[in-house]
Amino acid sequence: MRHLLAATALAALASIAVASAPQLTSTQRDMAHAMFAHLINTPTVIGRHKVPEMAQYLADQFKAGGFPAEDVHVMPYHTGSATTGDDDTAALLVRWRAVGTPSAKPILLMGHMDVVEAKREDSTTDPFVMTERDGYYYGRGTIDMKDGITAITQAMINLRKAGFQPKRDIAVLFTGDEETNGIGAKKGAGEWLELLGHPEFGLNADGGGGGFNADKSPAGFTMQTAEKTFAGYTLTVRNRGGHSSKPRKDNAIYSLAHALDRIEAYRFTPMLNDTTRAYFEGRAKLEKGPLGDAMRRWLDNPNDGEAADFIEASESEVGLTRTRCVPTRLFAGHADNALPQLATAMINCRIFPGIEPNAVKAELEKIVADPTVVVTRNEDNVASLASPLRPDVTEAYTRAIRTLHPGMPIFPEMSTGASDARPFRVAGIPVYGVNGAWVQVPTDFRAHGKDERIPVQSLYDNVVHWQMMLRDLAGK
Amino acid sequence: MKGVTAALLAAAISTGASAATDPRTVPTQLPPAWQAKTRELLKQAIEIPSVHNRGEMPRMAKLLADQFRAAGIPDSDIHIMPYEALPGDKTAALIVRWRSPKATRKPMLVLGHMDVVEAKREDWKYDPFVFREEGGYFLGRGSSDMKDGDVATTMAAIKLMSEGFKPNRDIIFFYSGDEETQGKGATLASTQWRNLTDAEFGLNADGGCAAYDRDFRPLGCGISIAEKTFQTYFFTTHNPGGHSSRPRPDNAIYDLADALERLRAHRFQPMLNDATRGYFTERARQEGNSVLGEAMRRWLANPNDGAAADAIEANPLEVGLTRTRCVATMLKGGHADNALPQSAEATVNCRIMPGVQPKDVQAELQQLVGPKVEVKPDPNYIGVPTPASRLRPDVLAAVTKAVQRFHGPAMRVYPVMSTGASDGSFFRAQGVPVYDVDGSWGISPEDERAHGLDERTPVRSMYDDVLHWEMIYRALAG
Repeated sequence: MRHLLAATALAALASIAVASAPQLTSTQRDMAHAMFAHLINTPTVIGRHKVPEMAQYLADQFKAGGFPAEDVHVMPYHTGSATTGDDDTAALLVRWRAVGTPSAKPILLMGHMDVVEAKREDSTTDPFVMTERDGYYYGRGTIDMKDGITAITQAMINLRKAGFQPKRDIAVLFTGDEETNGIGAKKGAGEWLELLGHPEFGLNADGGGGGFNADKSPAGFTMQTAEKTFAGYTLTVRNRGGHSSKPRKDNAIYSLAHALDRIEAYRFTPMLNDTTRAYFEGRAKLEKGPLGDAMRRWLDNPNDGEAADFIEASESEVGLTRTRCVPTRLFAGHADNALPQLATAMINCRIFPGIEPNAVKAELEKIVADPTVVVTRNEDNVASLASPLRPDVTEAYTRAIRTLHPGMPIFPEMSTGASDARPFRVAGIPVYGVNGAWVQVPTDFRAHGKDERIPVQSLYDNVVHWQMMLRDLAGK
Repeated sequence: MKGVTAALLAAAISTGASAATDPRTVPTQLPPAWQAKTRELLKQAIEIPSVHNRGEMPRMAKLLADQFRAAGIPDSDIHIMPYEALPGDKTAALIVRWRSPKATRKPMLVLGHMDVVEAKREDWKYDPFVFREEGGYFLGRGSSDMKDGDVATTMAAIKLMSEGFKPNRDIIFFYSGDEETQGKGATLASTQWRNLTDAEFGLNADGGCAAYDRDFRPLGCGISIAEKTFQTYFFTTHNPGGHSSRPRPDNAIYDLADALERLRAHRFQPMLNDATRGYFTERARQEGNSVLGEAMRRWLANPNDGAAADAIEANPLEVGLTRTRCVATMLKGGHADNALPQSAEATVNCRIMPGVQPKDVQAELQQLVGPKVEVKPDPNYIGVPTPASRLRPDVLAAVTKAVQRFHGPAMRVYPVMSTGASDGSFFRAQGVPVYDVDGSWGISPEDERAHGLDERTPVRSMYDDVLHWEMIYRALAG
């Protein structure tokens, strides 16, 4: 799930010395182009069984690039749920071993190979045939996130060919179900952790990135360091029911409707963390008008709930000031002529990092304030944590971005969505969304949408970006 | 669908004779030879599992048809009419005409249904489709709803034929095959098959009118002469939706929840008709000086006394009898746990007072919930309002005489309005008055097991019901 920069202009981090930008050779460009086309043309949508094929293709490319077969693993696994359907999918795990004694634990490079569905009739050109037009590559997955898969793979192959020898292991985990069930990431942070060498931190290509405005001015890059915790809850009301010709005073549907009305009216307490504070500081510097004023008031006084409410109500800031819960599904009753014996609502919550989902369950019970409305959790996710801002990662990212885009503002970001990073952060492995792709904002924000695309130059820049990141972070 | 009058009254009785004889132990007046025939036919009927979609209705129709044929009804007057009810449910109805040699009046219609509600072996103490006699009861699915009525109406006719009785009007028997699901048989019979069924009035055997309470006090016999119109509406809300990590201020589920909160608080206008006036007059007599009885008297004296009507409606025994009622019965909404709902829908089931148009109820609901919510009737079933049937003195007299022969004068007979729908409604809608006058009875509430577990009927109820119908045929067609 890709969350590109939504803001228009951002504050800079501390100034970092940058060198002139390296370029890809024309051979390297051709390789990147060919791999990208192959990946886009493989429709890795859930249910189409194409992820194992893509994983095998990438494994073959790594091996052809000189990576020993015993360090390249295609790991088939099953994914599925009642709402997404099932698939036999796969992950790709690669280990580039350090020469001699590693200087530190491995760096994990992360991405996902699956894409969300795209229908031919909803797209201008076939979304599963890569099309190059007007300086863009079009196709499903061009920004979410076969660009990142291509960039990491090409960067590693290029570096190896160039004779680069990492001082610490570089591990790669490309999952096959990030857009649906995230089982690959759970396995990565669990049973596959040994294969990955217990990495110290992760660099996720499914996060970060940046943009330029329509007038070519820099809009900024983000580094994703935190994400809200995804948690589902079920409200359940049971009733004796009966014949609908004789309505009872108590009715499961009415009790549920009343509970939903209370949730609609409720506002969770606003919260700030390091990531969002840095984000809003950046935003406040550039945002004129009442929204910028509200940001400044809130940063001055985190107890100014009114200011936080004003920010939350802005379309560009929804979900950034607090935990949000919203009903997404309803089910009730068994026949049109029978009083309901059961009524349920699914409540989807995006919980502020660090808050336990069990605490939100208790809060929902308090909001509903009706013991006949039973609140249960749909899964056992634990709280997602914000990853601490590491100076080495921040500096490497900033250096890479500014080498390619001098003067580009960069700022940390909390994602309101869920990604593969969560199980790693929960397992104590910080993860940073640090992809190097850029787009034109907002016209290229098309992840999950129609006519997804990426500028041609952005794909090549991203390969260079990851080469620089790896030289910087694994070269010493 | 079985009437619920008896259950309504069970807890309400405050007057009447003190502990009396157990009515189940009183000997039946049906001669032993006819008891044996009746028992055998009921056994065969119950052991045909005529549940929708099981394809058993033609066999059930043939069983009844064979009885009439054996008694001398010519094949030309016996029609097994195949039709499809629920999609794929190939069912059948039976229409039999017992001709009068010299008819002096328009025909009389006797109605019943041959289908039964599903019953699962694992839910029941015994196999629901194996006939049993135990403890003074006949047990099995359909023993009270309503294979007992099928058997009684058929057997009474056969008995009269064997005794040489000649009706002075044609008696038409109509047994439908999908009363419990679609009511399509009755729809067809009251329209397309009207040439075979046209009658001055109908007598429905679906549901006995009489009952006793646990102390064996008679609760009365309610003749249903009207029924509320069944109409389901859908409340639908729409929204552009989006990603659930970024909730919008507007939300299809919230809009629907608001509408349901309004529906919960809404009260339709109280109304009285001939059926409910008769019913509440009897109930007020039973209630005596209780608060409920006083409210009934106030309302009868002044139909504009809304407070009195509200007090009556609030009593669990009287729910649905003072006005149209609508209640939310089902919900669905959304398409994924992590996506904002693009639509949400509530099913709202209404029971509309006789004579009120469903489209007027729709307009009232639409006004109630406002423009964010679309209110539409279920396109698969558009209710047709039915007028209350005028209670005919000849029917009332015949039923009273029959009921009191078996239960004495304490078993009072009065009109009621049914809150549920039955096959009778389709005929009422076409101008044929229908009266629910079956003579079966039970102990309330213990024997109220229609649609439920371990359904049963007292042995004596089954046997005396044959005589009950015999008396009614004699009185109204003799």
